[in-house]
Amino acid sequence: MSHIDGLAARSLPQAANDGEQVSDDFEIGRIASVRARIASEVGAAMVHELNGPLTALLLYVGDIYENRNRMAETGADRDSLKRVVESAFDETRRICALVHRMGDGFKAPIDQETSILAARDAIAWWSKAAAPGHAPAQGADGLAADGCGRIDISRLTRREREVLQLVSEGLSSKEGAKKLRISHRTFECYRSAIMRKLGTKNTAELVRLVVTGMAILSKPQGFDHAGHSVD
Amino acid sequence: MAIAPVHITAEPPGVAKTKILVIDDDACVGAAIQAVLARRRCDTILAHRAIAGIHALEQYAFDVVMIDIFMPGLNGIDTIRHIRSSSQVPIIAMSGFRLRSSSDAVDYLEIATRSGADLCIQKPFQPMELVEAIEWSRALLRPH
Repeated sequence: MSHIDGLAARSLPQAANDGEQVSDDFEIGRIASVRARIASEVGAAMVHELNGPLTALLLYVGDIYENRNRMAETGADRDSLKRVVESAFDETRRICALVHRMGDGFKAPIDQETSILAARDAIAWWSKAAAPGHAPAQGADGLAADGCGRIDISRLTRREREVLQLVSEGLSSKEGAKKLRISHRTFECYRSAIMRKLGTKNTAELVRLVVTGMAILSKPQGFDHAGHSVD
Repeated sequence: MAIAPVHITAEPPGVAKTKILVIDDDACVGAAIQAVLARRRCDTILAHRAIAGIHALEQYAFDVVMIDIFMPGLNGIDTIRHIRSSSQVPIIAMSGFRLRSSSDAVDYLEIATRSGADLCIQKPFQPMELVEAIEWSRALLRPH
């Protein structure tokens, strides 16, 4: 949460001191604060979905643990212990399958777990991720998407992908420009080009594409772990 | 949505056994509780909807009722209130959300207690926690 709070705190005050950047940075600040709430919503949804299987698993495995010294013995309880062991295996597999589907449905980098934009999207995403075999044909805003519901960003240049990454992390134009060591005007030009290529109307929609996992940001070449360009 | 039928264990409740009603929409939780308690002199009946559990309470006498908070249809809190309006059976509330649920900072287990639950346990819980909760609840029935 502290990372998200930091984003919100960093973006909002700056908006008041930045002339024509005010509305843009305010929007990003608002996005950051919405993210905090949505991360919480996603967490709650995940806890709710995982709670049943995890409770069952803990009961079965706990029972095995408590009876571990008797497992090799034969007796009246043998069948019921066998059922417990088999059920523990089944529940474990069920959880593994669930986690697999979560991974399939949410392609954003792990450190962007805070980056789901809206509660509605989060719940919709979760429902889709939790439903096996679901593959939306179109994005939430009717944008053209591939068979997996993802936006094609192959037309973006490496620099545009870098800019998209930073925008999706909630950075303002000034902050992003400073990170890439370019002017904020240039940064905005890249951002405008991205929006044009992806067919989005505003920054919020752009961020939404990324944080909902619809636009997949593969790590560009020449990009180090800290996210700085090395060219 | 069709109401899931009340599943009654094959063996009729014995006199000395603890009779437990588990109301939880997640069938795997009830099945696990049933399996763990089967070797501890307990007869467990499962209801996958609150309304089915309430009907079971009207037909059979139970020593303890375990109720999940988040269920489709009639939720656990309202179920506890309904049962408490006509019965003093010990109630154990179960929920995965201990302190808060996402955006609204609400302790649902605290609400469950205020609504009439005698004990709350947070999921996931271990067999020993379950057994202790059952034993603690049974003690409520004994004369002081």
